[in-house]
Amino acid sequence: MSLDTNFMAQVFKTAIAGVPVTLQIVLVALIVSLPIGFIFALVRIYRVKILSPLVRLYVSFVRGTPLIAQILIIYSAFPSFLATIIGKSAFSIDPINYAYIVFTLNSIATLTEVFRSALQTVDKGQLEAGLMVGMAPRQTFVRVILPQALVSALPNITNATLYLIKNSSLAFIMSVKDITAIAKTQAAFSYNFLEAYLVVWVYYLIIAYAAELLFWFLERYFSRFQRTTTAKSFNWHLFSFKQPTTTVAAVQYDPKKELVNHAHN
Amino acid sequence: MLTIKNLTKSYGPQQILKGIDFQVNQGDVITLIGPSGSGKTTLLRTITTLEKGDGGTIDFAGVQGELAHLSKNDIRTIRQNVGFVFQNYNLFNNKTTLQNVTEGLVVAHKIPKAQAKTIALAALKKVGMADYVAHYPSQLSGGQAQRVGIARAIALKPQVIFFDEPTSALDPELVGEVLKVMRQLAEEGATMVVITHQMNFARNVANKVVFMADGQVVEAGSPADIFDHPQVPRTQQFLAEILSNV
Amino acid sequence: MTTLALIYKFLIQILPAIQITLIISVASIILGGLLGAALTRAKLSSHWWWRAIANVYISVIRATPAIIMIFVVYYGLPFLIKGWFHVSIEGWNRMYFVVIALTLLFSAPVAEIFRSAYLAVPAGQKEAALMVGMSPWQAFIRITLPQTFVIALPNLANAIINLLKEGALTFTIGVVDMVAKAQMIVANNSGGFAFETYGALALIYWVISLAIDKLVSLVESSFQKKRQAIQP
Repeated sequence: MSLDTNFMAQVFKTAIAGVPVTLQIVLVALIVSLPIGFIFALVRIYRVKILSPLVRLYVSFVRGTPLIAQILIIYSAFPSFLATIIGKSAFSIDPINYAYIVFTLNSIATLTEVFRSALQTVDKGQLEAGLMVGMAPRQTFVRVILPQALVSALPNITNATLYLIKNSSLAFIMSVKDITAIAKTQAAFSYNFLEAYLVVWVYYLIIAYAAELLFWFLERYFSRFQRTTTAKSFNWHLFSFKQPTTTVAAVQYDPKKELVNHAHN
Repeated sequence: MLTIKNLTKSYGPQQILKGIDFQVNQGDVITLIGPSGSGKTTLLRTITTLEKGDGGTIDFAGVQGELAHLSKNDIRTIRQNVGFVFQNYNLFNNKTTLQNVTEGLVVAHKIPKAQAKTIALAALKKVGMADYVAHYPSQLSGGQAQRVGIARAIALKPQVIFFDEPTSALDPELVGEVLKVMRQLAEEGATMVVITHQMNFARNVANKVVFMADGQVVEAGSPADIFDHPQVPRTQQFLAEILSNV
Repeated sequence: MTTLALIYKFLIQILPAIQITLIISVASIILGGLLGAALTRAKLSSHWWWRAIANVYISVIRATPAIIMIFVVYYGLPFLIKGWFHVSIEGWNRMYFVVIALTLLFSAPVAEIFRSAYLAVPAGQKEAALMVGMSPWQAFIRITLPQTFVIALPNLANAIINLLKEGALTFTIGVVDMVAKAQMIVANNSGGFAFETYGALALIYWVISLAIDKLVSLVESSFQKKRQAIQP
């Protein structure tokens, strides 16, 4: 008993049609959720009345529930909801739109926390120094705080993107014709599921590593000012696991930070 | 030139400043000394509007008003007329040495870029950092960073420069280079208010020494008055402790 | 019936399947934790090949979608076992496959969390323990490990919640867990009340996640109290 390599080569060729679909979902979700996540982070940091607790609830819900539940809610409930407004045509919408919605909503929550923690890592002294050279708080925020926060957010944005790429593999549940869906259909004819999924796996590894490499260049470019004597080399083992810390219960105080500091003292 | 009257400030139930009167004249070099927790830093931060005072008045740069109710314009005026040197430098991490100095000139004081650069280079030269214009703060030693911090403050030509323990975060061997720059500024006639534990600086450079304890000014006078003939027991005790440690 | 009443009704119907989710999660946490600890050991090893093996493994897992991992284990493991031992395991309870897949997925982040937490404990702690006469093993068990654990807790909570959520894909290989149950309810209602049903499903997971967070912050604050008591 051995793997059917001919079949694998065949799947490899046909499934490539799903790669643009996956990338499209990832890109759309990222582009839409980055600015919204940033605004949500500001809402949380400046404790905007009414909105701030709502954002917090939203982030907590998205973080606390499985993606599959979110997909099922949007995919099965949204069309009938839409149908009450625009009639039956709601059911003939291209399913990729649902994928856009689900993954964008999901990423917004992750990125809100990414930006929030990044803005909080910038030392308060930076703001004070800006004020003391006569700049207005807003000028200091835009010219000093923001650039530093964005750079410190980059590793977590990389992680969030990686999660997004991996999560997008569930798009097939919404009948989107992505890599997994194509491979699955092919396998169903001959029952070569193992071969098909191995191919899909390879595709995801390639996409994930490519994304990681891309972000590594971005990080390197934008963190010029942090570079001291030792240049950061590419993390070939691709492993920082600085997960987007979406700690919801422990937002007011950061016990880990305190503990780490204790440990260093 | 700068007059503070009856300044009070509390954090929660704890009163940090208990009615401080404070006066700075043109050309003064004032050192603030006192045990930690005596309110020195809070005094500086309140005068410069980094903290909001609870009570008391300020008269400075055309602003006359209560510290607790300063308008946005008043705050802006005060900030544009003071310089501040931080204990931990607070250089803008994302800006080069040169940009650190030009930033305030260009953005806040609306000085054209080319002119700002000239002013900045002159200030950096004065503190001996002209060779480091393209360095980022992470590439500087503590002493170098603090000298850039001083250049950033003096480039703005403020009426008064406040120094909040400018050498306390430095390794002992780097303290000298920063004090030298400060001494030079004093000799050139800059108006300075300095919190420091460097008693030599307080004695030899300042024309006035203010001793604070428990949120109050305990004693103030010339260095000779304070160091050689302290009148108040609390001052004598503090000086005995700090000088015996040298 | 109102939406809330419906959600409550479906919640009661879905809830019995929670035991599948809990069994799978707990088993994966234990096995994945052990594998993660072994990987940490490998990553901290002085032999480069141990480090290389651990790094490659972790890097691959990190880039692997959970659904693909579950499928590959489900279809691939019987294939391998048959090839090597000529034993058929296709009749296994499908939950085993999920547990294996989740164990593999969980071990990678856990290894990295353990490693960074271990490195965050100052070397002086271990040195002090050795200097009061403890053996290296005693120093590790009594001094380093407890501190590592406290530092690792918040990130561990994150990883556990992720595991819980990835476990919701169990239904894809035909185990009747909460998700499958919810889908059956929707099917029985001819696709009706989907929002209420899946809403109830999400609610259950949300409560479990919040409970994990709460539990961890309780454990943490109890540790912090201990520390505060020691410090002057």
